[in-house]
Amino acid sequence: MQFLGPATRRNRQKLAAGPTESFLLFRVGEETYGATLQGIREVLEPTEWTALPPDRFQVCAALTHRGRRLPVIRMRALFDVMPDQAAGTARVLVVGGGERIVGLLVDEVLGVADVDPGRIGPLPAMATLLDPALFRGVVVRQDRLILLLSERGLAEFDEVGAFYAGSV
Amino acid sequence: MTEPATTTGEVIEGQPAALMFLVAGRQFAVDLNRVQHILEYQAPTRTPRRPPFVEGIIHHKARCLPVVNLRKRLGVEESGPPNPALLLVAGTERDPVVALVVDRVLRVLSLPADRWVAPPPRMFGIRAEFIRGVANEGGRPVVWLEEAKLLLSPEPIGLLA
Repeated sequence: MQFLGPATRRNRQKLAAGPTESFLLFRVGEETYGATLQGIREVLEPTEWTALPPDRFQVCAALTHRGRRLPVIRMRALFDVMPDQAAGTARVLVVGGGERIVGLLVDEVLGVADVDPGRIGPLPAMATLLDPALFRGVVVRQDRLILLLSERGLAEFDEVGAFYAGSV
Repeated sequence: MTEPATTTGEVIEGQPAALMFLVAGRQFAVDLNRVQHILEYQAPTRTPRRPPFVEGIIHHKARCLPVVNLRKRLGVEESGPPNPALLLVAGTERDPVVALVVDRVLRVLSLPADRWVAPPPRMFGIRAEFIRGVANEGGRPVVWLEEAKLLLSPEPIGLLA
């Protein structure tokens, strides 16, 4: 009989359950959201950022990180969660790659969850007035629904596009 | 999520059957064939920047469904009872099943087709386009809603008191 340690047993259970994808879970307002861990480059404590012209940027601000200026999507503003102020637990998730790196200002980072990609369902069309491309889908975890954000959708968000178009 | 007690009423063959319910003291109905389940209310997960009449999403039998508050869709400002019901109804092409929040499910209503009459141009402030028919039941009007049209249209409705 072969003794299996806890880590080996977990790995075998994971293999038996099929491939999973890890998501970083975070809170905006009272709801939990997720973003693929693979797309997250860094998690930062919020530092000073620069406001952008409010006539063109309602939800984005700018942050200088490692000598590079990034657009930061204030998720409370994007999701219309009031009040639109960062909490003490707030963090900036730096996501994306290549030319389109984006910061997401969230209220709190909650942890990491492994998700079976086959269990990610579509977000109902009526559920939001936001561009559906911002969402990869919905998944159930511990009887709760978690909206998963799309890295590509965030990178193509119009204010991010305007930022990188060099208009600021 | 538990399912509430069986809704009483009798379906009579050859007669259109509707599920009758209350919203803000008014009697409404939807096609019984389009009702898939009646559930007890559960607080939905709130979605960001949703339409004012959408409460969020729920999970039911491996599907994620939008929750539409019919009070809000009909422009009723007062909040409803603490324990409303959820009707899972056939929705639209984009959202095949939608959960409708109604104040209370009454019963199945099966009336001869000629008891349902065409609505006036407006009934309780609702345009005739959103109404399939009107009947009298128990001395009070019942409005049979075209719920799919209500869900698709952004037109504001102000339910008259």
